[in-house]
Amino acid sequence: VRAGQPVCVVETSKSAIEIVSPGAGTLCHRFREGEEVELGETVGVVAASEDEVTAFEAERAGGAAGEPEPAPDRPANVTRRAAELAREHGIDLAQIRKPGFVTAEDVESLIAAREPAGVRGRDGAGTLFAGMSLDGVSLPASIELDESVGALDPGFLASLRDDPEAFRALPAQERLERYRANGARIGQRVALGERTVVVAPRIVLDDDVTIGDGGTVACEEVFAVGPLTRFGERLRVACRRVFVGADGWIGHDVRFGGGGAREPWGTLAIGDLAFVGDEVYVNPCRPVLIGREVFLTMRSVLVTHNVGHSLLEGFENRFAGVVLEDRSQVGIGTVVYAGCRIGREAIVASNSYVVSDIPAGRLAIGVPARVSGHASRPLADARRRELVHRMLDELEELLRLRGVDVDGVEKSGSRGLELHADGAVSYVLFVERLDSAFQLPEADGEVVALTLALAGDPPAGCAVLDLTARRVHGSGGTVLDSVREFCRKRGIRFEPGLWRYRGGLI
Amino acid sequence: VAEQRCAAVLNEALLDLFERRDDVYLLGEDVLDPYGGAFKVTQGLSSRWPERVITTPVSEAGLFGVAAGMAMRGYRPILEIMFGDFVALGFDQIVNGIGKFRGMFDDQVRVPLVVRTPMGGRRGYGPTHSQSLEKLLLGVPGITVVAPSECHDLGAFLNESVEDDDPVFFVENKLMYGRPNRRPVDGRVGGLRCRETGGPYPALVFSGNDFTGGSATIVTYGGMLPVVLDAAILLILEDELFTEVVALGRLAPLDLEPVLESLARTGRLVTAEEGTLTAGVGAEIAARVQAEAWGLLRGPVRRVAADDRPLPAARTLEDAALPGVEDVADAVRSFATAGG
Repeated sequence: VRAGQPVCVVETSKSAIEIVSPGAGTLCHRFREGEEVELGETVGVVAASEDEVTAFEAERAGGAAGEPEPAPDRPANVTRRAAELAREHGIDLAQIRKPGFVTAEDVESLIAAREPAGVRGRDGAGTLFAGMSLDGVSLPASIELDESVGALDPGFLASLRDDPEAFRALPAQERLERYRANGARIGQRVALGERTVVVAPRIVLDDDVTIGDGGTVACEEVFAVGPLTRFGERLRVACRRVFVGADGWIGHDVRFGGGGAREPWGTLAIGDLAFVGDEVYVNPCRPVLIGREVFLTMRSVLVTHNVGHSLLEGFENRFAGVVLEDRSQVGIGTVVYAGCRIGREAIVASNSYVVSDIPAGRLAIGVPARVSGHASRPLADARRRELVHRMLDELEELLRLRGVDVDGVEKSGSRGLELHADGAVSYVLFVERLDSAFQLPEADGEVVALTLALAGDPPAGCAVLDLTARRVHGSGGTVLDSVREFCRKRGIRFEPGLWRYRGGLI
Repeated sequence: VAEQRCAAVLNEALLDLFERRDDVYLLGEDVLDPYGGAFKVTQGLSSRWPERVITTPVSEAGLFGVAAGMAMRGYRPILEIMFGDFVALGFDQIVNGIGKFRGMFDDQVRVPLVVRTPMGGRRGYGPTHSQSLEKLLLGVPGITVVAPSECHDLGAFLNESVEDDDPVFFVENKLMYGRPNRRPVDGRVGGLRCRETGGPYPALVFSGNDFTGGSATIVTYGGMLPVVLDAAILLILEDELFTEVVALGRLAPLDLEPVLESLARTGRLVTAEEGTLTAGVGAEIAARVQAEAWGLLRGPVRRVAADDRPLPAARTLEDAALPGVEDVADAVRSFATAGG
């Protein structure tokens, strides 16, 4: 065609307009006659040279052969969250056959169904949990213990019940010895505070369990506590069954029990690494399930029933358990009402009143508590890096204020602190991507490496804190312990998880 | 069976009406064959019934009067106004005549007139050919306004309008003409369940989770429905937020029963329309819902509509002025983040 030659006529409701070629060349059609074309689509091009014609033909052939549309990463009825969960847990989405949309809930039920029945508790659906769903809750290992473990001699138990005051007056060590002698399972380095007494047909206190002074524990069936767990002073427990996991922290003046504490459904289960703040009150006349790494902060209250007028007169009368799924948090002074479930990693802000379920990962606040946003937000890699650098700044300042001789050091690929402690030189380094080729500094003390990406085996001769996988590799002493504690205070807990800071540099 | 395009469904319904009733006439601009109307809805009519299809000059103000007179004299005229924007030219006839004659003359006359007209933008037709002016007709006593969507039974709507002994404004949509008439099949439209309410101009109610509740009810109509349905599916797939969508069939008189029924399951209401925000259809719905069902509302009603300004012709500017999928989705998300 020549420049200015009409190549196309556009007809509208009002007129017909000729479109002329902007230059000389070969007219190439992008569509066949009669084909329907979207508004705004290019229908043809004028190629200026043979090369352009060839390129155009090639493009059109390619477009026709392999559909350029990117393959969707999931079926059209599967939500983004469902697809992510399925990928994470290796679930085949083709297993889910239902009309309508496939949501995260559908995938979660498949994940739950995959776990062997009866896991976590010998009667998962029976009275122990009153048929409550255990989804999202990692329960303490002590639930799995055989019923004979820690069973007290009936005569000894009767004497405890008859005259707890006489037993209470005994020295701590003697009380422990008597428990042991009469069938209780009491581990190493267990500490039972002054005037504290535990009355239960089965008592299990694993290694390093501490219960503060002036406590009273009365259980109808069992009181079982995992290793390293600490209870503060004036603990009051009145509940049918209590299972507490490992490495838990239960504060002062905590009260488990109250009206209906002897009811057959009364089970209190607290997962590993849970935090229960001072003056918390939990009334487990129905099961109260608290997952792993849950923060139930001070003065918060979990209730499983209300008190009031006749249900036959239309008043609310409710008995129902409470579940705090793994890694959830309950703020200071918050009340969680009977029957509510707080989802995994959800946060309820302080002084809220929870009267409905809070979905996983959400932030809820208010009276009544309502979802107001997400509990956490996704972080870009750059932001995570920046945060680690800030943590190092803060650690350096803290060590300096604690009187430790510390200098900042920067080397290619790493940044960190040089410490002079216990007469030796140690290093705390941040190496963003750490592999075995990393050159460790010469040190007669410890080398602790923090990393966001550990490739392959950790280098020998140092302890590694993998901040992404939340895992500790290798061993160390005071420096490693201090850094680990510093991280713990910022919510970063490492596996293996059973660990306690026994003092050090900070 | 391939779904027919909406323009073809309307065209068939017209042919059928002309076949069945010899008192049906069609008046409008450029409606004769071979052109067959600006949007081809009247194609084939004038070839078969030349005496009953009347092409007119550009004269809307007079046209409304002529059509009203025909209706009062016992005909069933269908008036095609090429672009809904030009309804404005007939406003004196509509407000002071067509809607009032029956009442003023104590039921001695009736005006069985149907005014068909396309509203809506997204085609780059500029400020005077893209508006959604149906809200101006709401509150004019004595006229019925229907605005079926691409999922409604368009033929039944048109029949019902022509059979009506009183004036009906039949609001069509320009984008709808070229899109398939997606009627529910086995109670589903695409991935959504769809229920049709009873009555002459039924509403459609859509749900992605079998009507088991959700984050909000989105009430809409006409050409805005596909935008809202896209938003509903986006909210499910990306946010796992389920909504119910109510597509009203008739805007005046307004029947809120399906909206209230859905609201009882969701507790939150979003209105979505393509017209400008102020004093829009959503404003009327919000006012009525808060009066009738305050107890069902768990948060303020949110309105999604066009900006209060003339519509630009440029595509990008027009898109920015008109409510889109993300605007609807954000209105629903705002409930989740505000907890309302």
